[in-house]
Amino acid sequence: MTAMRFLRGPATARTGQELLYVLAGLPMGLLGLAYVLVALGAGAGLAVVFLGWPLIALTLLGARWFGAVHRILAQRLLGLDVGTPELRPSHGFVDWLRVRLTDPVGWRAVGFLILKPLLGLLTLALVVACWIGGLGAVLFAVWLATRGGFWQVLFLPAIVGVALMVAAPWVTHGLVQADRVLVLGLLSPTTLTERVRDLEHTRAHAVDDAATQLRRIERDLHDGTQTRLVALAMKLGMAREEPDPARARELLDTAHAHVKETLTELRDLVRGIHPPILDAGLPAAMASLLARAPIPATLHIDLVDRPSPAIETITYYCTSELLTNVAKHANAQYTTVHLEQRHDRLRLRVTDDGDGGARPDRGTGLAGLTQRVRTVDGRLDIQSPPGGPTTVTIDLPLHT
Amino acid sequence: MRIVIAEDSGVLRDGLVELLTSRGHEVSAAVGDGDALRAAIADHRPDVVVVDIRLPPTFTDEGLRAAIALRRHHPDQAVLVFSHYVETRYATELLAGRPEGVGYLLKDRVADVSDFIGALNRVAAGETVLDPEVISQLLTAGRTSGLDALSPREQEVLALMAEGRSNTAIAKILVLTYGSVEKHVTSIFTKLQLPPSHDDHRRVLAVLRYLRS
Repeated sequence: MTAMRFLRGPATARTGQELLYVLAGLPMGLLGLAYVLVALGAGAGLAVVFLGWPLIALTLLGARWFGAVHRILAQRLLGLDVGTPELRPSHGFVDWLRVRLTDPVGWRAVGFLILKPLLGLLTLALVVACWIGGLGAVLFAVWLATRGGFWQVLFLPAIVGVALMVAAPWVTHGLVQADRVLVLGLLSPTTLTERVRDLEHTRAHAVDDAATQLRRIERDLHDGTQTRLVALAMKLGMAREEPDPARARELLDTAHAHVKETLTELRDLVRGIHPPILDAGLPAAMASLLARAPIPATLHIDLVDRPSPAIETITYYCTSELLTNVAKHANAQYTTVHLEQRHDRLRLRVTDDGDGGARPDRGTGLAGLTQRVRTVDGRLDIQSPPGGPTTVTIDLPLHT
Repeated sequence: MRIVIAEDSGVLRDGLVELLTSRGHEVSAAVGDGDALRAAIADHRPDVVVVDIRLPPTFTDEGLRAAIALRRHHPDQAVLVFSHYVETRYATELLAGRPEGVGYLLKDRVADVSDFIGALNRVAAGETVLDPEVISQLLTAGRTSGLDALSPREQEVLALMAEGRSNTAIAKILVLTYGSVEKHVTSIFTKLQLPPSHDDHRRVLAVLRYLRS
């Protein structure tokens, strides 16, 4: 870390956001703690008369809600994206009771709500001490200066004050890291078994996907290229045995046209397997994709590091499919494609000004895209109110 | 000859029609799937039917099924089945009924125009025509069962016999005298303990029966 970056600490936007997080998080945290203690206490007390059990179940639901608020705070202010845990479905009252009471997400949220205020108080105390202390020392030095004190005397508080103020953002940042760990550990959607289930599911899909792609390639080669070559061989065979030169010439011309068509088909097929332009990097590949897009599209790229080849390929094909979708279903005039890198994640956003109403189950291939993205631990999000505009956001890790 | 063609690829279908008409044959119908094929045969009663094994809707072996069904209803209908690749299983199924007037060729053979027309004529005349590729697969499968007793030259002659070639044709292809071919054929029949036959067609069946056993 360079000295300049260290000294500029107090003035960055991140500092402001983290400060806001600390200040906003504490009241929510205290409220959450109070809620948990009161509600769980009541529930436990009433457990003997059975009324307590539904009460505890409802408390867990409420705890999840509090957790969601904290998650949103963390996402907006800290840039921490952990994803939303799913609510497990249930059938009937007894099943609902059972599912809610054994919900690991709910209990982990309760754990979070208990720990968060403690951490929050500690953080706030230290942060306030640094900032206020630093500011106070500096003001004290200024007051001494107006009183005409000795330079050496006022030098010390000034230095201490400035040092505290410069260090404060780093202290904040360090303490907020502990908060991040807490959020990541207790509010993220997956425990180990859920993770394993998720991986098994996405692996099965990856294997199916690979097999389907191979079958598609085989079909394209068989029906397209192989057939054309047979037709070509026929024409050439006929030309060889044709005594009339003019007729033979005709046959050769047709054969020549066949060859050119076959080459074009092969070129498209190869691009479908692995577009050569991808080797030159995503910016070049995306630009070439947009140049061929059926609807006018603009591209904004903000990439610093080069993603792994698998991620580049997935990003390329997702963009290609999304653009095709827009042309086929959206009735749009214009598309924008944003590709940006945030920390170690890649975010692809395709927006169109069309009719909206896009859903994963409407044969748009969005479900397939979601699955493929999940195989590399990515996520796909659709915002498509009826009437438009539509934005599809894909979040991927930078490296597999 | 009147011919009906069943091939799902438009490019290939048109090419075949052009090829056959340029040689003076009449293409009564050129269709793209099994149902249309059945209708066309009922309408036109052609001399020979050329059908691709892989047809819509499932693109697996509809053409083969159609050919076998066809032969059950009209045992005299000459059928030439062709495909991009060869499966000995398909050949076995095709020949399971009456093998007379049945052919199985690789689409690649179409490149040799005269050979293809020749094979078509032979099938229409009631012979059995099998692609050399099928024969070679059968030979490879049967290598352990006594074919080692044959010399390499005799194996070549055996392969050509299985394709349905006459002794004259074999002599021409292998650049041998007619007498040498006859000697080889007698030797083969003796070593393999096959009933001797001068009928080219029966020879095919005998050899095939031997190879498949």
